[in-house]
Amino acid sequence: MNVQISSLADYTIISVDGRIDTMNAGEFEAKIVTVIESGATKIILDCSGLNYISSSGLRIFLLVLKKMKANNGQFSLCSLQPGIREIFDIAGFSSIFSIYGDQETALKG
Amino acid sequence: MNKEPAGKVLRVTNQIEELARVEVFLEELAEDWELPSSLVLSLNLVLEEALTNTILYGFNDDSSHTIDISFTKTGNELSISIADDGLAFDPTLQSDPDVTLSIEDRPVGGLGIYMIKKVMDQVQYQRIEDKNYLNLTKKIE
Repeated sequence: MNVQISSLADYTIISVDGRIDTMNAGEFEAKIVTVIESGATKIILDCSGLNYISSSGLRIFLLVLKKMKANNGQFSLCSLQPGIREIFDIAGFSSIFSIYGDQETALKG
Repeated sequence: MNKEPAGKVLRVTNQIEELARVEVFLEELAEDWELPSSLVLSLNLVLEEALTNTILYGFNDDSSHTIDISFTKTGNELSISIADDGLAFDPTLQSDPDVTLSIEDRPVGGLGIYMIKKVMDQVQYQRIEDKNYLNLTKKIE
């Protein structure tokens, strides 16, 4: 798993590549929490490079969404690969997350 | 397609790091049995969920335990059996989470077993001579 963080206008864009699983979910969580604690209020998580996620990873996505919502912040996802989208559908996550086709659309909100 | 059953077994220990071996094993299996990549992703998910539960909650001692994962392909059906000597645990009896709840009401966690049930076509549990057997089947499409 590789996480890259950048800024665009008032958005923080987090790009995640590779796998989020039981073994590295804690590391992923720590990286995202650092971004939230630094005061980011509009976060887009770009999942174009994410090719595997298990329930350990989904758990972190939900935690972050709850945290951002409680702070009146925005947390959107974009560019999910079809296999990941399917897992989101099964977990019932597709209806609670704002999911966009690409980063450009996500920036327009 | 070859109709004769083909079989492979992966033996892991009750260490969470063993999940990395499962990933590699599945990649090799996919190549040998010409499995579609979407199925490999699903199988990886299912095995991770099942093994994580067993490894983290299935044993109440500090000993090393082995978990045997057997794969059988018969025609276009794939069967997986996971056998461990941990505490008796029947995942099929676990109630499903409500995946329609709002963000605020949605509990964090509890999705692992549900994912196994949703991804696989059949999930059966047996307890035989102090061993758990989780038998899973999935059609290869």
